[in-house]
Amino acid sequence: MNKKAYYGEFGGQYVAESLMNTLEELDRAFEEAIHDPAFMEEYHRYLRQYVGRETPLYLAERLSEKYGTKIYLKREDLNHTGAHKINNVIGQILLAKRMGKKKVIAETGAGQHGVATATGAALFDMECTVYMGKEDIERQKLNVMRMEMLGAKVVSVESGSNTLKDATNEAIRTWAKTAEDTFYVIGSAVGPYPYPKMVKEFQSVISKEAKRQHMEVEGRNPDVVMACVGGGSNSIGMFAEFIEEKDVELIGVEAAGLGIETGKHASAMALGEPGVLHGMRSYLLQDTDGNIQLAHSISAGLDYPGVGPEHAYLRDSGRATYVSITDKEAMDALLELCKLEGIIPAIESAHAVAYAMKKAKEMTKDMSMIVCLSGRGDKDVNTISDYLAGKGYLN
Amino acid sequence: MNRIEQALAGLQEKKEKAFITYITAGLPDYGKTKAIIKAQEQAGTDIIELGIPFSDPVADGPVIQAASYDAILGGATLEKTFTCMKELRQEGVKLPIVFMMYYNTVLHYGMTAFAEKCRACGVDGLIIPDLPFEEQEELQNALDESNAKAEQETILIQLVSPVSKNRVPMILENARGFVYCVSSMGVTGQEASFHREVMGYLANVKEISKIPVMMGFGIRTAEDVAPMKDVIDGAIVGTHFINLMREHAFSPEAAAEYCSTFKRELNAL
Repeated sequence: MNKKAYYGEFGGQYVAESLMNTLEELDRAFEEAIHDPAFMEEYHRYLRQYVGRETPLYLAERLSEKYGTKIYLKREDLNHTGAHKINNVIGQILLAKRMGKKKVIAETGAGQHGVATATGAALFDMECTVYMGKEDIERQKLNVMRMEMLGAKVVSVESGSNTLKDATNEAIRTWAKTAEDTFYVIGSAVGPYPYPKMVKEFQSVISKEAKRQHMEVEGRNPDVVMACVGGGSNSIGMFAEFIEEKDVELIGVEAAGLGIETGKHASAMALGEPGVLHGMRSYLLQDTDGNIQLAHSISAGLDYPGVGPEHAYLRDSGRATYVSITDKEAMDALLELCKLEGIIPAIESAHAVAYAMKKAKEMTKDMSMIVCLSGRGDKDVNTISDYLAGKGYLN
Repeated sequence: MNRIEQALAGLQEKKEKAFITYITAGLPDYGKTKAIIKAQEQAGTDIIELGIPFSDPVADGPVIQAASYDAILGGATLEKTFTCMKELRQEGVKLPIVFMMYYNTVLHYGMTAFAEKCRACGVDGLIIPDLPFEEQEELQNALDESNAKAEQETILIQLVSPVSKNRVPMILENARGFVYCVSSMGVTGQEASFHREVMGYLANVKEISKIPVMMGFGIRTAEDVAPMKDVIDGAIVGTHFINLMREHAFSPEAAAEYCSTFKRELNAL
């Protein structure tokens, strides 16, 4: 067992033998790159000039007033391409370039990671193929068109449930075949080691900025830091710099879909059982035979049956708490944020906002919390309008 | 003692090559699975890989993915496959049978219970494509503990790939049964376009290995392995065999016909 690949009992490298040397090569290249000041300078230059960082830490005044505590929003929605996903993509594609790879592949559910990867591939002149479930292609036509405009090839995955989990399977299969010249850009804090570490590294810019920004205004650390969790990339980035600050409460918000009790949810840590999927050992939604269960959430970005291994570890070690928010609670919070603050959040991020409103009740007006607003809601307008019209949603 | 090792030792004495097939358990139902296994034993198949269906078979191409999916829809499970194995042994089937499965199925069943059940039902080996060498310790310990209690052992079969290179000596050091050499990169069932360096790779594995070397992925006929006959000890047919079974409505006679032909041609190479 490769000890460094583990977070407690979670993580590891559960991949085909033919990928083991690839992971070793990737790990070596990644460690070298992040210790090379020239690489990190180039990464941060792109984040500044191309992505538009740093993003603001905004004290949501009316929201804070209504809920009786200081609520700061970390505005990842203001990034180029509309979400935090691009932070990681720029890092991974720069690494791919450094390793001499000419092609990149990616999986995508809602299309945000696919769009970010297609964007990075265009910027660095790489051939890009994005695997997307047939169902998701139908419900996210706009993002499919975006990826194609950016020069990516979108492959429709028709196996299993035709969604993110199956798109990921297909990306892994393709990678196993083509790893000699192809780099697999994983979008969430999941997959075999070193991916969870790599995604955390490239997303930790969120908390590095937020910690300093909060310190500048408040002169201390926040009391609570909160983010939504699907696979867990924005949340691990939001938590990263605060994990060692034991006085800061960390809360991850999973999707409860129609309610945990209905079985139609995406809360891998609420009822999940440890298992192995997509190269990692972590909490997974499984049926009684050990097959992977479909996740359900109105938010395509949280619609994943597993969770990143470091989150599983943070949960079991008690360092972070994981809660869940239903579709309805998330949509109510989304609409309220629109009206109170003039911000249309992604449905994913609205899950964190919804729990912030609940959590605020336990807090006083001198306390403060940071909520990661991981993405903007433009991509969700069709889903929101169907929801409001009472049509439900395709899932 | 292990049935795989006994069978392969017997073949080595006769200077014969091994012929191994793959079928998905419970496709289309367990009755057919048993009939196909029995017909193959009669026809001279040396070892059978029995695939345990899983919802997310990442090491498999479209044919075995579909087989796995259909079997799950038909109600196939690990527990029922154990029952099927037990019945086969009670009904006198002696050839070695290896489970080809994904690691989540093992974890879900429980490591100790799984190891005990494998031994009790006469499962001779395990091929787990998403459990690379570095992650095998926990399962190996459970198997060792269970194997110590009885005569028939369940062993882990090691896989190597064309890009394993420096890893081969480590993987093979304590390997048992046979080495499963993946002929090409990627998943099961691609065209018979073996990795460009396949000959050098197989020769290298053969040189290092103390146990028989089998080649799988993309094989349809004995002729496909003619170029490498001097460096392999046997061939594994999976995807093509599933296709053949589907074409012939899972007929045990068709299975027997294919297997006896392959086996005869393999040894005439």
